[in-house]
Amino acid sequence: MCELRKRGLVTAVIVSEPFLKLGKTQARVFGVPELPLLLIPHPLGGLSLEQVEGRAGHAIPQVLQLIKEHAA
Amino acid sequence: MTNLAELLKSPGASLECEDDFDAVNELARGRGWSDGLPVVPPTASRVERMLAYCDRPWNEPVARMAPRYGEATPLRLAANAVMAGCRPEYFPLLVAAVEAMCEEPFNLYGIQATTHLCAPLVIVNGPVAKELDINSGHNAFGPGWQANATIGRAIRLALVNIGGAIPALGDMSTFGAPSKYSYLAAENEEASPWEPLHVERGLPREASAVTVIGAECPHNVNDHESITAEGILTTLAGTLLAAGTNDVYYHAQPLIVMGPEHAKTVASGGMSKADAKRFLHEHAHLPMRRFSKENIERRLRVTWKERLGAAGLDAPVYMVQRPEDILIAVIGGAGKHSAVIRTFGATQAVTRALKLRDGKYAKSVADFRKK
Repeated sequence: MCELRKRGLVTAVIVSEPFLKLGKTQARVFGVPELPLLLIPHPLGGLSLEQVEGRAGHAIPQVLQLIKEHAA
Repeated sequence: MTNLAELLKSPGASLECEDDFDAVNELARGRGWSDGLPVVPPTASRVERMLAYCDRPWNEPVARMAPRYGEATPLRLAANAVMAGCRPEYFPLLVAAVEAMCEEPFNLYGIQATTHLCAPLVIVNGPVAKELDINSGHNAFGPGWQANATIGRAIRLALVNIGGAIPALGDMSTFGAPSKYSYLAAENEEASPWEPLHVERGLPREASAVTVIGAECPHNVNDHESITAEGILTTLAGTLLAAGTNDVYYHAQPLIVMGPEHAKTVASGGMSKADAKRFLHEHAHLPMRRFSKENIERRLRVTWKERLGAAGLDAPVYMVQRPEDILIAVIGGAGKHSAVIRTFGATQAVTRALKLRDGKYAKSVADFRKK
């Protein structure tokens, strides 16, 4: 993901709250500290399909915003 | 020859602290350079004594340790070895273990950052195990032996201080495991009826080697009654069964630690290691109905699509995918016990020989001393 970001593509990593710090650290380690991290509620495992759709609902507006910002 | 005083002048390589045990430990704890236990102050003179057993440049990384991908230079590793209480002659083994766990198939990133409770387990083989007095007998995985305790601890400190395995930051293990403090033992080669682990994995018997495994803690296998190979192996296969293991979803390599008495019983029936592995593979499976409905639909049928995609609920789910994936080592003292050690799953064991800089196998750790 970090390599794609370096090539200028719209790139983001979706993380749940407990993994936010790990995500930030990894982005820094791989040389793209500005890599967008899209936050969704925890957990991601052990969910019903409806709940998975709910998580996607959290992420999609953030993805759209990212694409808009990239285009602007 | 590397000059330590020169190396320590580079930014961040050293810092001043009051010459006091408590002050050093306060500083280490404050900076997170800790496994929670007191450390031996890594003074320049102690670090230099450790580096006497290093035959390569002290500031040249031997590996980069995930998830921080910090450079594991001999200098940094030596500081961690001092902090852990290692004797200088242990140092070549620490370097080999770190190199092994940073090889791609081991997946150190996954093992460090996962929510699973795994830790790198190091099995030591060859003459160096005896030379360094590494315990392979009674309580080999437990306390009481300086080499086991401190080399294992040095690995953990390096994983934290160089690799960034800081709880809730780079180490996301849901609850961790006591094996994260230290997890190292030697194979009891003298008590084994079979070829040692490093020979089975392609090295000459006279070589010394480390094998790293992304492992859970040992799970005991009590069998005081069986007097045949089939009996012992049936109990072992039965203990491999678990619906909640990572191993069932990967081409995993669980380790069977056979106690010497069990190993003798198995071998006395004429079984080779390969025979024992075939038996264990063949007998370690659960009917799919023993897994939860969700795990069947979302994991098993997807991961093993070809075999289980459309299979009925009585179809066997194998705990290990192929006989050759099972690792066997003979460890321990007297007693009718063995142990099953499951793994992180998404990891392969890596064996690395103790080699000198010129590529020759080390006959003794003394070979690493600067001439």
